[in-house]
Amino acid sequence: MVLYDSATSGGSNSGSSSSCSGTKQPVAEIDGLLAGAGYKVRSSELRQVAQRLERLETVMVNSPADISQLASDTVHYNPSDLASWVDSLLSEFNQPPLPLPSDLPDLPDIIAGPSVNHTAVGNYLTDNFTTTQQQQQQQQQMMIVTAMEEDSGIRLVHMLMTCAESVQRGEMAVAGSLIEDMKGLLTRVNPSCGIGKVAGCFIDALSFRIMGVGGSICGSVSENEILYHHFYEACPYLKFAHFTANQAILEAFDGHDCVHVVDFNLMHGLQWPALIQALALRPGGPPLLRLTGIGPPSPDGRDSLREIGLRLAELARSVNIRFTFRGVAASRLEDVKPWMLQVSPKEALAVNSILQLHKLLGSDPARNSPMEMVLGWIRNLNPKIMTVVEQESNHNQPEFLDRFTTALYYYSTMFDSLEACPLQPEKALAEIYLQREICNVVCCEGSARVERHEPLAKWRNRLAGAGFRPLHLGSNAFRQASMLLTLFSAEGYSVEETEGCLTLGWHSRPLIAASAWHAVPDVMMSHQNSN
Amino acid sequence: MQQQQKEKKLKFFINDDIDILIEILKRLDGRSLCVAACVCRLWRTLARNDSLWEELCFRHVSSPPPSSVRPVVLALGGYKRLYMVCLRPVLSRLGLAELTSHRVKRTWTRDELQLSLSLFCVHYYERLGAAAAAGDTDRSLGECDASTSSLMFLCKPVNV
Repeated sequence: MVLYDSATSGGSNSGSSSSCSGTKQPVAEIDGLLAGAGYKVRSSELRQVAQRLERLETVMVNSPADISQLASDTVHYNPSDLASWVDSLLSEFNQPPLPLPSDLPDLPDIIAGPSVNHTAVGNYLTDNFTTTQQQQQQQQQMMIVTAMEEDSGIRLVHMLMTCAESVQRGEMAVAGSLIEDMKGLLTRVNPSCGIGKVAGCFIDALSFRIMGVGGSICGSVSENEILYHHFYEACPYLKFAHFTANQAILEAFDGHDCVHVVDFNLMHGLQWPALIQALALRPGGPPLLRLTGIGPPSPDGRDSLREIGLRLAELARSVNIRFTFRGVAASRLEDVKPWMLQVSPKEALAVNSILQLHKLLGSDPARNSPMEMVLGWIRNLNPKIMTVVEQESNHNQPEFLDRFTTALYYYSTMFDSLEACPLQPEKALAEIYLQREICNVVCCEGSARVERHEPLAKWRNRLAGAGFRPLHLGSNAFRQASMLLTLFSAEGYSVEETEGCLTLGWHSRPLIAASAWHAVPDVMMSHQNSN
Repeated sequence: MQQQQKEKKLKFFINDDIDILIEILKRLDGRSLCVAACVCRLWRTLARNDSLWEELCFRHVSSPPPSSVRPVVLALGGYKRLYMVCLRPVLSRLGLAELTSHRVKRTWTRDELQLSLSLFCVHYYERLGAAAAAGDTDRSLGECDASTSSLMFLCKPVNV
């Protein structure tokens, strides 16, 4: 870059005006060498103009959009006024000129080549660390390149990937230093919006993983219930799950007088009032309703399951439904045995699993036995319907880096959608809820990692293999979900229907998927097996 | 005698004819009904009558609701509460999108009614929980007006 060299050589000349000997000295002290080439730049601004030119080149090289319109559509300043010209071009890329630190070392020492891009520096880092001095140099270079690039957010994402890669390779020292850099970079990014928050969560999760304290993140049962409740209030995902599952269960219970619902995670029982009310108003009169709620045992002697059951019973009594409740306390779903549920053969059974089934996916994919065992006894109970709602993402990949990358994009979208929530403190606690999930996905391994989310396609295969057939969620469920979304103030949510399942997403990125299943009759199963 | 009759005719006072008053109040919209409740004690007592609010709730429903709805709504807190807490925000949210394009008084569907009733039920259930947490033994839910959070998302203005 010819101009670049001229600028630096011009900058190192202290008395540039001396080259214009004999001519009248301009008041603004225009650099003489550049003036000879036709460009008017003040000597005092030479360094800044050079840095801005460098940044302009970086931005143009890395710009994702087609920049040819710059040649035709944009109005440029007279290029002989180089400073204004480069500023006007930078503003085309939304890069406002920023004041650079005054202790910046001389430019030629720092810039490795004409085009400095993210991957180049990234590769440089992972390939060339041996001594601390080199590390320092690289850190310096990274800091300076960062100062010159405007988009620290993208920088942060790339650093997170690099750090995760180091963790996967077991290079904990590198990862540790990267985390320090990222924390420094985080102060420059706005922490209260977008990438700042989710990056903060992932940085914390990575540092927990490096320190080896991943297992201690999970909170107490009552804490989790409170966080879950606030997550329910702050965004529509759980409401969508509840209403869609209820609609499917309501339709499956049509015509039955004795019905039984098994809930794999009762929490505060927020799903069931709506079903109770819908059953009370159904044409033909309400059935006898039994609800069995599974939940973790409460540590402090309170029987929280029973309390929730009493509340639901009071509600059912108010609307004149015959109702009985049974609580099953189990810390893990695989500890539940079918006899605890006391299912009677005469009643119509519905099994409801909201964000629970993925916890059964053990670390050993070959064995798969908790999942097979549970799906087996569910099938043997012959439910009229099983409603399954799961996160729509693959956080159960064997390679850590793949998991990390997928989780980063998934939770970024989640946090984006949460930005629109106006309710405090619901929003803050919902973010903590998501933070706990992130920690589990990133820090934990083996049986401690319970957040093993898998996409809908995988669940379809797994459930079909276990003897279940899909039930299409009807148009009523879709209409209800769409209506529910219009009630939320944020405009980015979207409901989609794929092969009878509904997904709720943010800006057409599906985040949660609801599906319904019923058991294939045994005759058909043996027929399938014999083929 | 004629003087007295003339005076009586001139001094027509609506509060003397409660049936007519009720018929008029039945046809008001929600905001007017609330304003009417502030006029005097008689009007306040009449406006508290839940059947007036029932009329209001189902005025624009395309088909009349089944008879089983009333006991359920009354058990969950009554039509006035249903309107104030659920229907009004739901209708304004759903209607706002339509108002710009159609500018007609829309009838709303069974589905919207059903959704509102479900949300109302969740609201009632949360009030039960709040009452239990506060240690209320007499369960006077009429006074327990703690704003539960499950419906607060309806109260925030829409980002249009």
